[in-house]
Amino acid sequence: MKELSLNILDIAKNSVKAGAKLCKIEIIEDEETLTLRISDDGCGMTEEFLKNVTDPFCTTRTTRAVGLGIPLLKLEAEQTGGSFKIESRHESKYPDSHGTVTQATFYKNHIDMTPLGDVISSVVTLIQGDPQMDFEFVHTLSGREIRLDTRELREVLGDEVPLDLPDVLVWIRGNLEEQYRDASL
Amino acid sequence: MTVRELQQSCGFEAVCLPDPDREISGCYCGDLLSWVMGRAKSDQAWITIMTNINTVAVATLCDVSVVVLSENVAFEDDVRNTAEAKGVNVLRTPLPTYEAAKKLSELI
Repeated sequence: MKELSLNILDIAKNSVKAGAKLCKIEIIEDEETLTLRISDDGCGMTEEFLKNVTDPFCTTRTTRAVGLGIPLLKLEAEQTGGSFKIESRHESKYPDSHGTVTQATFYKNHIDMTPLGDVISSVVTLIQGDPQMDFEFVHTLSGREIRLDTRELREVLGDEVPLDLPDVLVWIRGNLEEQYRDASL
Repeated sequence: MTVRELQQSCGFEAVCLPDPDREISGCYCGDLLSWVMGRAKSDQAWITIMTNINTVAVATLCDVSVVVLSENVAFEDDVRNTAEAKGVNVLRTPLPTYEAAKKLSELI
């Protein structure tokens, strides 16, 4: 995709679909690499499905026979000389510890590196789309950390305040923007 | 013009032609698969240098009539087999994308 932030949206939507209560989005950067890791506690995938998950002709979609979210992320990572892996435990075998971890590592200085793009908007869009679900976002930039955890927001706001209220979303966006400004100082 | 006619009149190499009688109604050029996915239209010829399995998936999704590989890019056998199985026509030419598109536009 044109920006990695769109891949984040796409992969995190799989967590939503898998019925996850919590989806953790991590971006870990150093001088050379950027690793994107999305983990959830959703239903997970069976071993059979997991084997074929990077094949675009294997998909959970019912409206069409092609799913490109994971295959494209893998391609984008590999195009920079990076790597991709996905691990999953299906609820049928792991009733107490199911979920999926998708991880892609990119070499940032490669000419075919996809720019990260507007991550803040992706996080806000995810919260807005599924306000009952919890998201933990952590972006580590050479030691500095930008983070947002909807579980902490809920603790402060109380359970009766939905996270998709315009004021809450504006606050989340502002808070992340401020953290990014501070981190770049 | 059909895919077979394009192949013959341009001298493009037939990588696989499971459905040679499909009509070509236009052309789209692009290599960023996620971008092409939302833009290439049914029955168009799609000119690209991307040759992995995802290319076949995008071709299926957009229902293009043929994928034209420009610059003689290598196309792996297993990808070709998938294209064949999914009914995706694939042609190849040494021409760069612009030149290939120009040739195509003279014919349609």
